[in-house]
Amino acid sequence: MSENESSANGAAVTVKPGRHRESTLYSALAGVGAGGKGKSLAALREEALAVYERTELPVWRRSGFWTTSLQELDLDKLEVRHHPQGELPAIVLETLPERKRAGRLVQREGSVVQLELDAELAGKGVVLCSLEDAAVNHTELFEQYYSKRLTSDRHKLEAANAALWSGGAFLHVPAGVVVEDPFEIAYALDGAGAAMYARTLVIGDAGSDFKLHEYNLAPDFDTGQALCAAAFEMYLRDGARCRLAQVQDWGNGEVFDASTRVVEVGRDAYCHWLPALVGGHLVRQHLELAVSEPGGDMAFRGVFFAEASELLDVFAVDLHETGPSGGDVHWRGAATGSSRASFEGLIQIDPGAQQTHTYLQIHSMMLSPKARIDAIPSVLVSADDVSASHGGTVGELDEAVIFYMQTRGLDRASAVRVIVEGFFEPLLSELQDEPLEELVRAKVAAKLARASEDIREYAETR
Amino acid sequence: MSDLEITDLHVRTEDREILKGVNLSIKKGEIHALMGPNGSGKSTLANTLLGHPSYEITEGKIVFKGEDITGSDPHERAKAGLFLAFQYPVAIPGVSVANFLRMAINAKREEPIQVKEFRTELQHAIDLLDVDRSFTSRHLNDGFSGGEKKRAEILQMAMLKPDVAILDETDSGLDIDALRTVAEGVARLHDEQGLGALIITHYQRILHYIEPQFVHIMLDGRIVLSGGVELVERLEREGYDEIRQEFGASV
Ligand SMILES: Nc1ncnc2c1ncn2[C@@H]1O[C@H](COP(=O)(O)OP(=O)(O)OP(=O)(O)O)[C@@H](O)[C@H]1O
Ligand SMILES: [Mg+2]
Repeated sequence: MSENESSANGAAVTVKPGRHRESTLYSALAGVGAGGKGKSLAALREEALAVYERTELPVWRRSGFWTTSLQELDLDKLEVRHHPQGELPAIVLETLPERKRAGRLVQREGSVVQLELDAELAGKGVVLCSLEDAAVNHTELFEQYYSKRLTSDRHKLEAANAALWSGGAFLHVPAGVVVEDPFEIAYALDGAGAAMYARTLVIGDAGSDFKLHEYNLAPDFDTGQALCAAAFEMYLRDGARCRLAQVQDWGNGEVFDASTRVVEVGRDAYCHWLPALVGGHLVRQHLELAVSEPGGDMAFRGVFFAEASELLDVFAVDLHETGPSGGDVHWRGAATGSSRASFEGLIQIDPGAQQTHTYLQIHSMMLSPKARIDAIPSVLVSADDVSASHGGTVGELDEAVIFYMQTRGLDRASAVRVIVEGFFEPLLSELQDEPLEELVRAKVAAKLARASEDIREYAETR
Repeated sequence: MSDLEITDLHVRTEDREILKGVNLSIKKGEIHALMGPNGSGKSTLANTLLGHPSYEITEGKIVFKGEDITGSDPHERAKAGLFLAFQYPVAIPGVSVANFLRMAINAKREEPIQVKEFRTELQHAIDLLDVDRSFTSRHLNDGFSGGEKKRAEILQMAMLKPDVAILDETDSGLDIDALRTVAEGVARLHDEQGLGALIITHYQRILHYIEPQFVHIMLDGRIVLSGGVELVERLEREGYDEIRQEFGASV
């Protein structure tokens, strides 16, 4: 284990944004979102389409570390396919746990195929519907929030989403409404040939309290490509609280995912956000948690596990636009096979965001000689009365621990599983949701089982 | 016929030979003490018996309950009923004592243990080792004090019910009360379950609570002297020097 720590305690430390960055793609959106600005949805789509048509497929490059290129994607071979209402994808039925829920929206490629909402909640004014529907029937909220923090011109796939999205999910939890069970929003691909432009807008009104579980799923498939370019935005108003979790597993097919997710935490609001990124051929996620008003607080968690030849690129932003505010970023990732996981965690504290206290830690575990995880923390602080620090560890399997468990009767594969589960456990138990925890644990276990040969070889070479 | 039969065991690590022909046999229900100066090879013997991959057996064999286990995987030896309480137990972050025990017990069984049965057994072990109930929900050895680690080792032993256990300096680093608890725990398992044990120690005091029938002295990778409890007293009196001189020729 190696430990590194640097802190910007009380002093204004500015890391030049361009120092390791080739372009602005590795910077926070930081409220540059286009917003509706009074334009009609049709006009916004048209603008985005123009960007889509004139731009190339994106490449993210962190010189000396990694390159994430979507240029292998053959967009011409993909189409947005539509499916009839009620035809749920098998992968959704297999994956989503049987449980009590507040509501569920399932989108299959281009179409919303299932929508249900607890009647009592509907009576309290909770809205769960397709985003297309919201654009027509909830115009006031739609116009106020749609694309408030999202851009549509940074790269071709973002523009594609803004121009071409269909179906989509809209959730509004009205002021003061407390919801015990989670809402579920699932986006699923059938397999090769599909492009899915998933778009989600969530508004937690003042004092609301709810849970949202998002699923991104695809079955395994052999040949051909598929794409998901998602845009997700959530706005938590004064005192609202949300526990947001995401399980992304695109299976072993050649699925490309280039997505942006933004959560805005308002005055005295709180968000606990935990994406579990556990599968996908090439996944690029821009995840931004922004405290926009005083008193906002957040816990930004994340779990990732790359296997085989998967490539994962996560840009996680812990953004503080005002103070006092709190942040706590904690990610854990593992990699097997010849996979690559690249994680950049940015703490950004804007001018005037005094009395912000935040900490970022990223722990990674390498399980194969050919796997690689890069984790870069960066700090961009423009206020002086703040604390912002980061730390992390890079670990490998500890043979002493494996032997210890073997002497208690566990075989090697089980011992490895226990270690890796233990590694993720501090975050998984934070989900505070038994079915979801079990699901992620099962996915971790399945990944380990598939990589067991690889892990054994790795042990023997050392 | 002994349960654990070690014959002419030679063991080396990458750079040198550490055990140079160890002979020892232990029956279920027998208590053996193994003493010897630092670096003489006691832990190497303990680890080798459980199949630690760093130690290469170049000669000799280990037979357990009639089966040659010289080349078996560590978990097979554990399942056969061999146990090692480590001199330096490692931490297993993220795994609670209770969950770990359940996994270890289930690894030995066809059918997973029933919740109720597990609870009963765990309570029994908790009482035996005089630990707090909350102890079992902590992550195994993670942030444990030296004494807690040793208790956790014996707690595992109580739950796993081995036929033969090797206790590698389980008494080191324990205060007098903890020592009594742990030693009495071992004695109870010996009385109740007929546990056979190889107690590796530097001190006489643990042997006051659990009296060995056999005492062995290891010097430089060999057991040079075996006898009864009187050997312990001789050691306390004379130290290793006398014995070293006496057996110097062969060492
Ligand atoms: N994995 C290893 N690699 C190299 N040398 C080792 C290894 N394990 C043990 N040794 C060496 O073998 C010798 C015996 O070590 P061992 O730990 O068995 O002694 P011990 O009798 O248990 O000592 P102590 O009373 O201090 O616990 C020592 O010189 C030690 O440095
Ligand atoms: Mg030792």
